[in-house]
Amino acid sequence: MSEGSVEIKDLVKTYTDDRGRPTFTAVKNISLHIEDGEFMVLVGPSGCGKSTTLRMVAGLEKITSGTISIGERVVNELEPKDRGIAMVFQNYALYPHMTIFNNMAFGLQLAKKKKDFISDTVGRTSKALGLDHMLERKPHALSGGQRQRVALGRAIVRSPKVFLFDEPLSNLDAKMRVQMRSEISKLHAQLGNTMIYVTHDQVEAMTMGDRICVMRDGLIMQVADPLNLYRQPDNLFVAGFIGSPPMNLLKGKVQRRDGSLFFTEATEKNPLNIPLKGKLEPLASKYIDKDIIFGIRPEHLSDEVKDPAHVPVTSTVEIAEPMGSESLVYLKAGTANLIARIHGEHLFHLGEQVTVQFNLDKVSLFDAATENVIR
Amino acid sequence: MTAHQKILVRKVAAHGFVVCFLILVLVPFVMVISASFRQGDFAPSRLLPDKVSLDHWKFVLGIPYQEVVNPATGETRTIKAGTPPLLWFWNSIKISLISSAGIIFLSSTAAYAFARLRFKFRTSTLGALLILQMFPMVLSLVAYYVILDFTGQHLKWFGLNTQAGLIMVYLGGISNYIWMIKGYFETIPATMEESARIDGASQFQTFVRILLPMSLPIFAVVFILSFISYMSEYPVASVVLQSSDNWTLAVGANSFLYEQEKLWGRFAALAVLSGVPITVVFLLCQRFVIGGLTSGGVKE
Ligand SMILES: Nc1ncnc2c1ncn2[C@@H]1O[C@H](COP(=O)(O)OP(=O)(O)O)[C@@H](O)[C@H]1O
Ligand SMILES: [Mg+2]
Repeated sequence: MSEGSVEIKDLVKTYTDDRGRPTFTAVKNISLHIEDGEFMVLVGPSGCGKSTTLRMVAGLEKITSGTISIGERVVNELEPKDRGIAMVFQNYALYPHMTIFNNMAFGLQLAKKKKDFISDTVGRTSKALGLDHMLERKPHALSGGQRQRVALGRAIVRSPKVFLFDEPLSNLDAKMRVQMRSEISKLHAQLGNTMIYVTHDQVEAMTMGDRICVMRDGLIMQVADPLNLYRQPDNLFVAGFIGSPPMNLLKGKVQRRDGSLFFTEATEKNPLNIPLKGKLEPLASKYIDKDIIFGIRPEHLSDEVKDPAHVPVTSTVEIAEPMGSESLVYLKAGTANLIARIHGEHLFHLGEQVTVQFNLDKVSLFDAATENVIR
Repeated sequence: MTAHQKILVRKVAAHGFVVCFLILVLVPFVMVISASFRQGDFAPSRLLPDKVSLDHWKFVLGIPYQEVVNPATGETRTIKAGTPPLLWFWNSIKISLISSAGIIFLSSTAAYAFARLRFKFRTSTLGALLILQMFPMVLSLVAYYVILDFTGQHLKWFGLNTQAGLIMVYLGGISNYIWMIKGYFETIPATMEESARIDGASQFQTFVRILLPMSLPIFAVVFILSFISYMSEYPVASVVLQSSDNWTLAVGANSFLYEQEKLWGRFAALAVLSGVPITVVFLLCQRFVIGGLTSGGVKE
């Protein structure tokens, strides 16, 4: 069964002015396959073309070139209503002059469904969403979370094959956002539909997505499941975008000394020297005397040695943020700034000298010229 | 001067200004009302009539009344308007209502296109509309005359001296209303209409069922404005409508201002009468000029 799969091929979107002259290319040739029933998150900084992509899938925006297929049917020229999709907008986009019932029933009414069927469907959906006692209200009498739930309900009653979400939680307060996040995840588990979810929030992406598609400037940077995206970023952009606090990225060169390879930080005064042993050695050997970027996640700096893959680096504590079971420690090693996430109930003092251990097994090296990971 | 005195002076000055302004606005109004109740047809010299008479109102409402012809003998005659002025009143209301409704229909659909659709020459057409509206309708009088003369030769009910012809000319004055309504449409986020489109609504259904209900305030404003302007429009109506049973109130009222004799009393009574439908329309439409019609639909 693949009726909910979405295939995006060589998709390009160039916005034009009234006369059809090109003004801006928001999506520059992307290809993406989304499995039936998959929860795919499109994530990236604001303006990278996520909404544009989603709106082309929805049929709200004309496609400049390329194809979009839903369930193996090319939908390029189909009206939104015929694509088997439903969309939830960031600003809810409810019909303010209609009751909640009519907001949810509007699509079914237009499709000339039977009255009984409509009230049955809307009733069941609103009950599941906890909206059944406010069906006669207008949207303005609802809270933000309730409104977004109505928008969700309106999407559900259409029983689409593919749900499209454009930053549906951005307008909610932090607490509501976390709650709705799990509700949408639960909904996905229940319905099993394909969902495409746009967000600029990498935490949302990591917690919700089966797979995540990271975009920048109208291009796809990497598509992977959350763990792989986190562990094996394809490029510097993904490495810096995913994870909070972000990955430590140090600029420098590979150097050979006494038969061993070292990463030497690119600064004048006492640069950091990190031996590139183990799995890093074959990678670095192609980059001797070339510029690379050394990336290590904060949790891979620790204050105790666990195995021989760790190398010690002496550093000074600049800021410490104790958070109970772990601390975020901002360190200065030579001229380099590092963030370490250190487990345990330590207290770190400003100016304190600590020796942190780099876990070389977890290090990613990037080609400074192409910004791609060295494999 | 102490601070207290300063405030006092400022207060007096501000109130003085407001009072002067009120007088400026209200005096002509009171004068017209008083002229309609004053005996005789002299240009009003005093604010309140010295001799109250209902003759002008009787004339306007089509009730016959006695007028003294010769004060020496006391000879009187019965006066009754040839064409009842109330007919003009109904003509005016009819023409203004139909024109305003037509204006709403034409300008809202045009504004929808300008606000929501993208097409060649959209901005230049909008600019042209803006410039066109700067020329008063009167400037095109000759053209209207010729056009209606021509159409009248083919369609009798649609030529010179027909109300349909006048309404047609009036419907041409929509460009500033297009701009007004377009401005309002643009304040309404497009996502609601996009939602409707995904829900399966056609462009027309979206317009009628989503956008229109949210736009009642601007339609009420446009309706009031166009109704008022057509109730009082004189130059075009006076050229297009020639026979007195087709006249509007404004044309009829002006017909009492002869070169030799200006019948101010009847004129004033008609002027006051024309205020009645305007007030009624205003009160009816006002109920729709309320904020918050779009609230709750989207997060601002
Ligand atoms: N109608 C439009 N005309 C021209 N440029 C547009 C239009 N809509 C969006 N853009 C541009 O396209 C880029 C991508 O927009 P969008 O897809 O909304 O980004 P986001 O990833 O934040 O959702 C942005 O730089 C935006 O300015
Ligand atoms: Mg967006």
